[in-house]
Formats: sequence, structure tokens, C-alpha cells
Amino acid sequence: MTFVSRVQRDPNGNYIYSSRPRPVENRSGYGKPPPEQTHSTYGNIMFDPRVVRGNTYAQRILPIAAQSDPDEVQRQQEIRRRNIARKRSREQSRTRTPEAAQGRKHIDVQTECYLEELSDITVAKDIACQTDSFLDRPASPLFIPAKSGKDVGTQIEEGELFDFDTEVQPVLEVLVGKVIEQSLLEVMEEEELAYLRTQQRVFEERRNNELAEVMRLQEQDRRRTEEKERRMAQQKEALKKEKEVAEKIAVRAYTQEYLSGLLPTVFTSLRSHGYFFDPVQNDIETNFMPWLMDEVNNSLERRNTARTLLDNIIYDVVQKRQEMFKETQ
Amino acid sequence: MAGPPADWTRAPVAFGRRAVPQLFGELMRPEAEVRLRALASLCGLMRDPERVYQAVRGGFLEQLKVLFVDEDPSVRTKTCELLHLMTSHSISRQALLSSSLLHPLALLMDDPSSSCRRSLLLVLNSLALLPEGAEALLTLVPKLMQKLRQVMEEEVEVEEVLLLSTITSCSRLDALPALACDAVLLVGGRLSHLSPDIRREASAALMALSACEEGRRRVCEEALLPAVVELLQDGDVAVQANAAGVLMYTGVITTGKQRCLDLNVIPMLLDLVTRDQEQQEERSRKALIMFSLRALTTLAEAPLGRRLLLEQLPLLVRRSEAAEEDLDIRRAAQTAVRVITWTP
Repeated sequence: MTFVSRVQRDPNGNYIYSSRPRPVENRSGYGKPPPEQTHSTYGNIMFDPRVVRGNTYAQRILPIAAQSDPDEVQRQQEIRRRNIARKRSREQSRTRTPEAAQGRKHIDVQTECYLEELSDITVAKDIACQTDSFLDRPASPLFIPAKSGKDVGTQIEEGELFDFDTEVQPVLEVLVGKVIEQSLLEVMEEEELAYLRTQQRVFEERRNNELAEVMRLQEQDRRRTEEKERRMAQQKEALKKEKEVAEKIAVRAYTQEYLSGLLPTVFTSLRSHGYFFDPVQNDIETNFMPWLMDEVNNSLERRNTARTLLDNIIYDVVQKRQEMFKETQ
Repeated sequence: MAGPPADWTRAPVAFGRRAVPQLFGELMRPEAEVRLRALASLCGLMRDPERVYQAVRGGFLEQLKVLFVDEDPSVRTKTCELLHLMTSHSISRQALLSSSLLHPLALLMDDPSSSCRRSLLLVLNSLALLPEGAEALLTLVPKLMQKLRQVMEEEVEVEEVLLLSTITSCSRLDALPALACDAVLLVGGRLSHLSPDIRREASAALMALSACEEGRRRVCEEALLPAVVELLQDGDVAVQANAAGVLMYTGVITTGKQRCLDLNVIPMLLDLVTRDQEQQEERSRKALIMFSLRALTTLAEAPLGRRLLLEQLPLLVRRSEAAEEDLDIRRAAQTAVRVITWTP
């Protein structure tokens, strides 16, 4: 469905609505959505129930405070029409008095106490009235509400506004005071730091001083103890040496004495052991005598064996003789 | 109503208690500009101890860990500056030490931006002044020494001064880690530098190192004593005092005594001790005089030294009896006199 109407906002943000003229669609019923193909069934405007027809003077205009609801309006119109129809039908169906009999006529008669003249001519009086020409409406008076509250007035005099010179004084004082105080604090801190440093330096010097003294004394002490040790060692050495020397002397004397009688005894013992010898005699004794003895031994052995042999022979012979003798016995 | 903020380099600060949390919240934003401005405002706020307290108690320090590895060098620098401001209060020092921030902080030492390195070294320096801080930094000492070597080659004076003073503070607590990294040699090379700051820091470092037995031995071995004696004539009182301190410590061991006597140091020390100055200079020279007296005491233990000093005894006696003297100086002078006149 092409858009024939458009709602827009123009650049200023205002609401713009534009639409092309289009024929009104024919709706099949109230509230029912339009059928799909609407462009072929444009209804005849003469037979459109939505179009107001006939005398519009009799149509009641909508009350000012009318509901904008078209349903309401239509309902009310329906009601009105129905009422009219109902009234008409009631009028028709109302029973009336029967017709007059022959020769009689129905006439209206007054039956009240006080009779009244009925005439068609109504007594009327003509009275004319003419309003005055309209005056211009006077201007409505200004609405001045009743006065309430207090009236207070104020006026700024000459010198009451801000005066820089007087105002700035305390501010300046505070600023300058604070700055100076801060700087004093900082300076004091720095001084304190400097004082601490000097104290540290003085302490260091003193410490160095005392340290040097301590070291000197330590060194002195060490030297002295070393010296003492050395001297004591030396002394011990000396003592030891002396003792050694004394021992040596004693030993020497003793050995001297011991050795004095040694020589003759040595000689005698040597001689007794045979270390001094006559070589010929020795030779004779070592070589000749054993040989001699051996020879003597040999010859004696031979003699011995010879004697034993002889003994054996004699024995054998004697034995034989004895046996012979026994045999011959 | 409030137009653009008056100082565009700083973020606007909320009122009262909300200021610190809000600024720390802004630090989490991805834009570097915002973070930089928030850091600038925080730097301004952290001069107030109340704010520092609030920041530390709220546990916001952990958020700074993210900022250490930020790409923008100015953000890193500002973070270090902020930490430096906060280390002036003990509560933040404690928090810093107990948190795990030290390690990522130490990694920043190799940062390419020099201002960031400088701020970081300032933070470490102020931390090292505290004993617990020095203890925590002892683990970092090898890294510091390495950095010192690097910086000495590059001749960046500011960083060198800061590094030396940090190492001095650490070595006052325990000199062994620094000694293990050859500190004596490194520092001794700087004793004759042109800049008085470096000379002062180097001599202070040497004094802290020679307080330890090992250090003394090393000082004698490396033959640094001539340079030290030269520093006694320096113009800066602090340098002179430090040099006298080194002599005082080195003279305790026998080789030190020998070397010092060889260098004929006694007249110089006596001269320093007996010079008459006005009262306020006395105050600054007090350390110098004390150390010189102690050095003389150690030298008096050697027979040669004693002989020399016996001749000068009246000077020292006068010094020890003077009524307007400082108590420490008087005591030191009395000790010296006692040692000189000691007989077995």
C-alpha cells in the first residue's frame, strides 16, 4: 500500500503532516479492517452511511462538552431516532375514545369550578424592550491581591560594598603569615638537619679519635704481650741451653772417667778373645791341626775297622770250629 | 571555574587526605606526561612530614618499583628525587630498607641518564648515613666499587664524590667488603686530584678503610703514605683532618710507624698542633688537632719518634694545660705527653 499520507518532523522539530487527496475507502462494517483490494471498491458517496444527509438544522449539534467518541455520538443519534420511532408507533397504537354515535358530536367541555374563556385569540400584550447600546466593556481592574507580609526596604550606601583595601588586609596577613610560617618551619627543619649532621660529624670525629686511641692501645698491648711472649720464650731457650750445657759437661766428665780404664781392659779382652794372634800359630792351629787330627782319625778308623774285621773273622772261625766241633762231637 | 592549572608542570593536588592517594593513583596511568606531572606535585608535597607519613603508611612505596623501569628518563630521575626527599625522614628510610626496593634501585646505577644516576646516588648516600642503611648497602659495595672504577675512568666528578662518600659511610660500619675489592689502591689514586671535593672524599674513604687492620696493612703496602703526607699541607681543613686521621690509624702498626718516621712527618704534625688560631677556626680545626695529637702519640711509641718528641715536649705540655681548650684536645694532649715520657 503506497503511503499517501506522511507524518514528518521538519528540521526545526515541528510536526508536519501532509497527505494526498484520496477517496474514502468502503468499509464493510464498523470496526472491521478494510479488505485487501480497496482501490476498486470505492463506495458511492451518496449511499455512504458516514455522510450526513438531509436537513442539518434539525440535527442536533454536538454539545460543547461532547464526547469525541464517534461511537457515543452515533449511539445517541440512534437512540434519538428510536425514541422518535417509538413515540410515533406508540402514538399510532394508543387507544382512543370511540367515535361519536349518530347525531352526536364530541365537544370539549370545561368541568372545573371556575370557567375559563377559551378562545383562540390569546391575549397578548406587546411590550417592546430595547437594550441600551452596548457600552464598551470597561477594562477590568487590575487584580491587586491583598497586601500580606512585611515591607522591607534596603539601600546600598556609598561605602558598603566590597572595599578591596580593607578586605584584602586579613587575607594578605593570613597568606603571608602562613607562607612565612611554612618557610620558618622548613628552615627550622633544615637547621635541625644541619645540626644533626654536625652532631653526627662531631660524633664521628670523636669516635675516630677514641677508636684510634683504642687501636693504639690495642696495638701497644699486643706488642707488649708479644714482647713478653718472646722474652719468655727466649728465657726458656736460654734456660734449656744452660741445662743442656750442664748435662753435657756432666756427661763428658763421666765418660772421661769411664773411658780412662777402658783402654787396658779393652786390650786385655781383645787379647783374651784372640783378636791379637800370631798368624803362623793361627795358621798351624786352624789348618794343620785339624788335618792332622783328621788323618789320625782316619788311620785310627782304619785300624779300628781292621780290628773289627779281624774280630769278625775270628768269630766266624771260632763259630765254625765250634760247629765243627759240635758236629764232630 | 578553575581554568588551566597555574603551573602546568605539576598535576593538580586534591584537598586534604585525598592528595597523596590520588597522586599515587595517577602514577599508574600509561601517559608519561601525566606521570611526570604527578611526580612533580609529589615532590612538592613530600617536604611535609605528615604527607611522608601518609605515603609510607599507605604502602605507596611499592608502586614506585614500577617507575624505576620506566622508559622515560625524566620519570626515573624524578622518582629518585622523590625518594631522596623522603629519605630525609626516618620513617621512610625504615620503610625503604625493609621493603624490597633496594635491589631494583641498585640496578638504576647503570642508567644511561646522568641526572638519574646522580639522584640515585644521592638517595644511596643519605641512606648510608643511617647504620641500618649502611648495613643494607654493604651487600652493594662490590657494585659500588665497580661503578667507582667506571666513573673514575669517565671523570664524572659529581658521581664520584657521591660514590666515595657512600663507600665511606659503608666502610665505617665494616671495611672488609670494600677492602676485598681493592678499594685502597683505587682511592689512593685519587688523593692528588685537582678537585678539593674529590680529595676530601678520597681521604675520608681512606681513613674509614684504614680503621681496619687489613686496611692499614694495605695502605703501607701500597705506599700511599707520601701522598697522604702531602695532603697535610692541603688548603682545605677537612682534607688535612682526614689525612691526619689516616696517619693516626696507620701509625698504630709498626710498619706504619716506620714509614711515617721515614717521611719525617713529626715536624709537620707539631706545626699543625701548635698553630694559634682564633676561636671559630679552632672549632673547625678541632678534628685536625685531635687527629694530629693521636698520630703523634702513636709515633711516640717508636724510639726514634720519642726522641724527637722529647725535645718538643714543652709545646705539648702547654697545650694540655691550657684552660680554654676543648676537653677532648686536652685529654689527647695529656695522653701524648704520658706516652712520650713513659719509661718501662
